[in-house]
Amino acid sequence: MNNKPKIGVYVCHCGINIAKAVDVEAVAEFASRLPNVKVARNYAYMCSDPGQLLIREDIKNEGLNRVVVASCSPRMHEMTFRKTLAEAGLNPYYLEMANIREHCSWVHEDREKATEKAKRLVFSAVAKARLLEPLYENEVDVEPATLIIGGGIAGIQAALDIADAGFKVYLVEKTPSVGGRMSQLDKTFPTLDCSACILTPKMVDVASHPNIDLMTYSEVEEISGYVGNFDVKVRKKARYVDVDKCTGCGICAQECRLAGRIPSEFDAGIGKRGAIYLPFPQAVPAKYTIDPERCLMLTRGKCGKGPKCEAACAAGAINFEQKDEIVEVKVGTVIVATGFDVFDAAKKPEYGYSDYENVITALEMERLVSASGPTGGNIVLGKGEDAFVPKEVAFISCVGSRDKSVGNEYCSRVCCMYTAKLAHLVKEKLPEANVRVYYMDVRAFGKGFEEFYDRVRREGVRYVRGNPSEIFKRGDKLVIKAEDTLRSTPIEDEVDLVVLAVGLEPRKDTRQIIDLLRLSQSADRFYLEAHPKLAPVNTATDGVFLAGCAQGPKDIPDTVAQAKGAASSALVLLSSGKVKIGAQISFVNESTCRGCGYCVEICPYSAVELVSVNRMGNMVQVARVNEALCKGCGACSAGCLSGSIQQRSFMDRQILPQIAVLGGVR
Amino acid sequence: MVDLEKLKNVAKETVSREDVKYLVGWRQGTYGFRVSPHFMTKPEDADKLIFSPLCVNNLATYLTLAEKLPVPRGEEPDTRKVALMVKGCDSRAVVQQLIEKGIERDSVYVIGCPCQGVLDLEKVEEKFPGVQSPVDVQWGDDKFIINLPDGTQEVPREELLAQKCLNCRYPNPVISDVMLWEEVEAWGNGEYADVKELEAMDSQERWTFWQEKFASCIRCYACRNACPMCYCEDCVLDRLNPQWVFRSNNISENTVFHLARAFHLAGRCIECGECERVCPMGLPLMSLNRKLAKEVREKYAFEPGLDPESKPFQSSYRPDDQEDFIL
Repeated sequence: MNNKPKIGVYVCHCGINIAKAVDVEAVAEFASRLPNVKVARNYAYMCSDPGQLLIREDIKNEGLNRVVVASCSPRMHEMTFRKTLAEAGLNPYYLEMANIREHCSWVHEDREKATEKAKRLVFSAVAKARLLEPLYENEVDVEPATLIIGGGIAGIQAALDIADAGFKVYLVEKTPSVGGRMSQLDKTFPTLDCSACILTPKMVDVASHPNIDLMTYSEVEEISGYVGNFDVKVRKKARYVDVDKCTGCGICAQECRLAGRIPSEFDAGIGKRGAIYLPFPQAVPAKYTIDPERCLMLTRGKCGKGPKCEAACAAGAINFEQKDEIVEVKVGTVIVATGFDVFDAAKKPEYGYSDYENVITALEMERLVSASGPTGGNIVLGKGEDAFVPKEVAFISCVGSRDKSVGNEYCSRVCCMYTAKLAHLVKEKLPEANVRVYYMDVRAFGKGFEEFYDRVRREGVRYVRGNPSEIFKRGDKLVIKAEDTLRSTPIEDEVDLVVLAVGLEPRKDTRQIIDLLRLSQSADRFYLEAHPKLAPVNTATDGVFLAGCAQGPKDIPDTVAQAKGAASSALVLLSSGKVKIGAQISFVNESTCRGCGYCVEICPYSAVELVSVNRMGNMVQVARVNEALCKGCGACSAGCLSGSIQQRSFMDRQILPQIAVLGGVR
Repeated sequence: MVDLEKLKNVAKETVSREDVKYLVGWRQGTYGFRVSPHFMTKPEDADKLIFSPLCVNNLATYLTLAEKLPVPRGEEPDTRKVALMVKGCDSRAVVQQLIEKGIERDSVYVIGCPCQGVLDLEKVEEKFPGVQSPVDVQWGDDKFIINLPDGTQEVPREELLAQKCLNCRYPNPVISDVMLWEEVEAWGNGEYADVKELEAMDSQERWTFWQEKFASCIRCYACRNACPMCYCEDCVLDRLNPQWVFRSNNISENTVFHLARAFHLAGRCIECGECERVCPMGLPLMSLNRKLAKEVREKYAFEPGLDPESKPFQSSYRPDDQEDFIL
């Protein structure tokens, strides 16, 4: 086959996106005179059907065997034009793109200079196009199963959708029960549905679904492999309770010597539990767990004359000898739905959260107003004889959100509305109470939100615009010092209870998951999606998707929507059963490789390994690339001292001429 | 202190071992202050071995320089060890080669020679020019004892000490299978005074400085060939496709050659100073290497060639690595 390069160059106007700053006709004319260029054209929208037809016709009529498209970033349309080439019978990797939009017209105003730059970029692409080689994609099978990390509403919803579609789901939850943050909430805005009432049926469904393997009190320890074929190690932490025997009767918890002495995580610390506990009454599975950090038997080796829980358990389910168990599963896709942590209010010392008992967080307030909470839903402060019903209640919004001083520049998106909801609940339960909300702005952007905000105000909740500067104690009262910025008057407001509307933060173990799955973080420290608009559930790692607040603060409807999106993205892979493996991957020149293993260490995907080969009777070590694992990031070839590992389509000898042209060397 | 009897006995024992192919040490050279590498295969060759302030060369180069000859069919490759005499700095080259899998631990038998600092041969030649017959030099307290043909002379240590030894922190081998005598106390503080001097120049001054130096380079590649860390089967700087460096000897190509070499040694150079010693044009190559060594040490708290179990610098990324120099 005569493979002398015959290059077609196509300069796109992109409407006026490019044409405004670049003289596209001049660029095309310039390109037509470059070596090996057979045709050069310009057209309004190369990515449009007629634009693509132009390329296909030229491939047929002019016998083109390389195509250079000078248009936008290859991230936008490389796939489009690869398909165009393939449709015309040309290997799709005979395409080279020159980015004259993002790299040129959008960032320059001087038309003359921008045109010169565009010419140089096109020349450089032509220089590389001459050296392109055909590449072929491989396909691998997709294991028909999904791993979901996190058993909150996002994980539950994604699990149910995938399981209903007929695929296996491994739902891994760190705590003893699924349910997540949503299970801690009392009512949900703006409709005031009972959170538990709408969530618990789904919790029960995940536990009973034949396609879902629910692993609570478990953590993902290790993930290796690649899209379609992830090998996962899950650590099932020892509960010290045999879940097959435990009937969930709860007598053990009543008998525990520490019963009522350990702050309950579920009740945000305001309720108490024992060392053996069920996080909350509707927990799924309804199996008890012993807290190994608190249990006297497990920490000190003895518990009075003998553990009372063990004596009380009629089913004989308690087993202090239980060990962590490592379960290995194989999945094709992974969904990360690890949720959020609430902002630590102690980081805003001016609000006195650490100092005053009656300054509480909104999550604590949720538990206080919840019928399943420690007070049975009665808003009562203090204990025993000191107990009282607050009359003056204040909410402070944006605690730890929109606040550069604590490193959280973002809006947490839920606080305005949950504040309105909690204010409503206070008004409902304590009609006599005076409720006010200190706010910066009220962001009531969702469906039914503005109406709800309006309703709460009509119920008598007073909104004061101003962020308090300080909270201190005067007698029995808390004094809020603030400025009413609408009236420009300073305020000293005496109240009984202050509720801090704490924002949402990335989970503290975000880093661990990042290391497990090679994910990225955005500036707000939440997980970074592949594209903020067009791939909001994807990650840079193929086959790994995001759902819920792990990706950024969200309310429940958005979380559920994203979970469904993640599930459907996972299902695309699962149901097609095959996935294409990139062709622009690395390969090793084994005759020059000296087996130093730098590439092995550098590779973020563990795609390179050292193997022994026989070199003239001597056994030597050389690097070898696992093509299915390689993502074509090129880190290995950048790190290789002898230039022995190269990435296809980005080989040194392809890139150097490209750089030489850019630098003005012909 | 230096115990030549012990050295010879250990050497005899070592080459007599079944699993040792040969021993590489030092012997007196033909002229004046020069020494030669001594390849010893038989116990009787041990008498020629020396260890003195003249033993400047880093013999670790020979570990990777040795060609792996083709093995005729039906024969087994010779996997016996190479025994190697090392000073402190040389031993770091061995460790770095181990880190980079250039050699295997059981392919080398390391004979450690704690060292009190070697001579700067140029300074010696200057002080005692034109000495033809071989000269024996010994360490004394804070001085070198030089047995010239016309009598013994004593010279203060500082006067003749090699540049690399002035600030040495690793005079004792960091790896060894046998240590020949007692370790000495390290005297260096690891300051980079020479580098700081260059850093203090403004960029134009510095550029002029290096352009003058690089202009005089004759591209003999002695620096590369003497370097114990330069041992690729096929050096990228030799390659024709792609040709990173053209062969023409001019400032531009010479600059690329030296900068590429310096960057390839970042986090790998163990500062034995061989490149600078062997340069016939007197280029201050160690200033380049030490600049990068300084950056690596200050920015990443990393020093090469100390722990054979450690990861190579290029792949020892930590999330909390300083990145303030990245825009």
